[in-house]
Amino acid sequence: MNHGIRIQLQHACFTLVAGLFLGLLLSLPAAGAGFSYGEVGTKNDDCLKCHGDRSKVDKRTYVDQDRFSHTTHARFGCRSCHDGVSASHPDGRSVAHTTTCRDCHDTVAVEYGKSAHAGKAACGGCHNPHQAVRPEQVSGDDLNRQCANCHTKQKIITSHSRWLPQAGLHMESIACVACHSKAASFVVSIYIAKHRDKDEGEAIRTASYAELATKAGSGELQALIDRNHDNYISLDELRRFNLNPDNKELYLRGMIVPLNPTHTFQTFDDRWNCTFCHASGPEIMQTSYLTLPKPDGTYAAMSVERGAVLDALHTIPDFYLMGSARNTTLNKIGLAIIAGGLVMPVGHGFLRFLTRKNR
Amino acid sequence: MTTRIYLQPLPVRIWHWLNALGIVTLCLTGAQIRFPEYVPLFGSYRGAIMLHNTAGICVALSFSIWFFYYKLASNTMEKIYIPTLTDLKLFPRQVIFYFFAYFFGVPNPHHATPDNKFNPLQKSAYLAIMFVLVPLVSLTGILLMNVAPLREMVVLAGGLKILVAAHFLLACSLCAFLFTHVYLATLGKTPLAYWKPMWTGWEDVEEHGQTAKH
Repeated sequence: MNHGIRIQLQHACFTLVAGLFLGLLLSLPAAGAGFSYGEVGTKNDDCLKCHGDRSKVDKRTYVDQDRFSHTTHARFGCRSCHDGVSASHPDGRSVAHTTTCRDCHDTVAVEYGKSAHAGKAACGGCHNPHQAVRPEQVSGDDLNRQCANCHTKQKIITSHSRWLPQAGLHMESIACVACHSKAASFVVSIYIAKHRDKDEGEAIRTASYAELATKAGSGELQALIDRNHDNYISLDELRRFNLNPDNKELYLRGMIVPLNPTHTFQTFDDRWNCTFCHASGPEIMQTSYLTLPKPDGTYAAMSVERGAVLDALHTIPDFYLMGSARNTTLNKIGLAIIAGGLVMPVGHGFLRFLTRKNR
Repeated sequence: MTTRIYLQPLPVRIWHWLNALGIVTLCLTGAQIRFPEYVPLFGSYRGAIMLHNTAGICVALSFSIWFFYYKLASNTMEKIYIPTLTDLKLFPRQVIFYFFAYFFGVPNPHHATPDNKFNPLQKSAYLAIMFVLVPLVSLTGILLMNVAPLREMVVLAGGLKILVAAHFLLACSLCAFLFTHVYLATLGKTPLAYWKPMWTGWEDVEEHGQTAKH
């Protein structure tokens, strides 16, 4: 091979490799992320044409489009998990897939594998991947509802009643995972609840988006409490909400929820001790969020001024944590009353001692 | 010369001491429940709550004994507890005795009899205690003991915090009364002179009538 031809071949190879490399480089944004948003959107639409329509698929394979569209999973696209869909689908055969939750959530899987729940329920037992949202987008009731799928409310109350006073009250005021998983911190989540309608069984019910939207009229939902629209709830705004006669059928309800709960589900020894929660004014009990429902079924949290839980009367009237949420002003009034009771023994007793010779 | 009169019938004594034990227990356990880090008297927090609830039920039951005895069995409730016009007229005299005359050795102007046990000051105090304070503290306590099943009533009362605040302040008032009550019970001829009839039922009365309950 002469020199000229060799140079031409080298040049052609270089061009080919460079072209391939360049082509690969250009395709990286899509390939690296695993999808292109536009492409995925279209592909999801293809799937959801059937799977988002109750009349075309059975309950098991139906996907609520509204709720799915807000999940991180939707961004990855149906095929990311359902990778075994054949060209002939739907052909009556079930779709195999090789992707598992562990492929992405490996840390959680390891954590969960060590918990008391491992082997009793798979991920899908608690999480619907087509509705999975971040913990802060879920209400405390929603969290507990997941548990109630297996652990019925009555059984939970019965088992806790063996050692826990007012088990029913605890169950409705605390997220199960607050005690049965490790969490870095706890906060009080405030919900707008509605008085029981005559035909409803439950005494407590968090007001739905539709109910609050009707109440808010043309305005935004948060305007029911956040009067100055600063996305921050002051104690004064909470008081005004409670004292507003227009809100007489609504009331604010508090629930203890963990921040970033882990999957270490078990019964921890320190949770048998009531003082784990009922100790004097821990920091956590001063942190609270107003949690408002959104049209898609998720919840949005808004910061609340510190100390809402400790306010004696007007902030969250229906939430009280003995030992922790005691009010300092009331303590002082109580102390003054008791001291008043000592005036007679001490004052009269002193004069009695001084005049003892008269009797 | 002294004679003995049967001043405190058995049901009244049972009620009184059950009430006393219950209220003292309630005050101490209540203090631990509200201030767990300062008053760890009864071991675990749960233990304090269980004891508080039990004592609360005992006091509510003893209140029933009191009510049924005075209202239904002896039918003397109004006579003993409701101040009459005469009582109101004698009210200043009794105040002067306690806060002035007593120190100069003047005898108590009120003479206790089974039908007229209490002096005007006592009648007024016990009227407030037994007809307002104890029923209200019991009612708020019963609601607080059963928040979930009685949720509707809790909400009607203005919510848990209002109930807790009312229960706490009423309990403090009862505790304050307790100090005064125990002290006044030592104002007899001897410090235990007024305690004895509440234990045995019998009180020694001087023939010429110089005895009375505080």
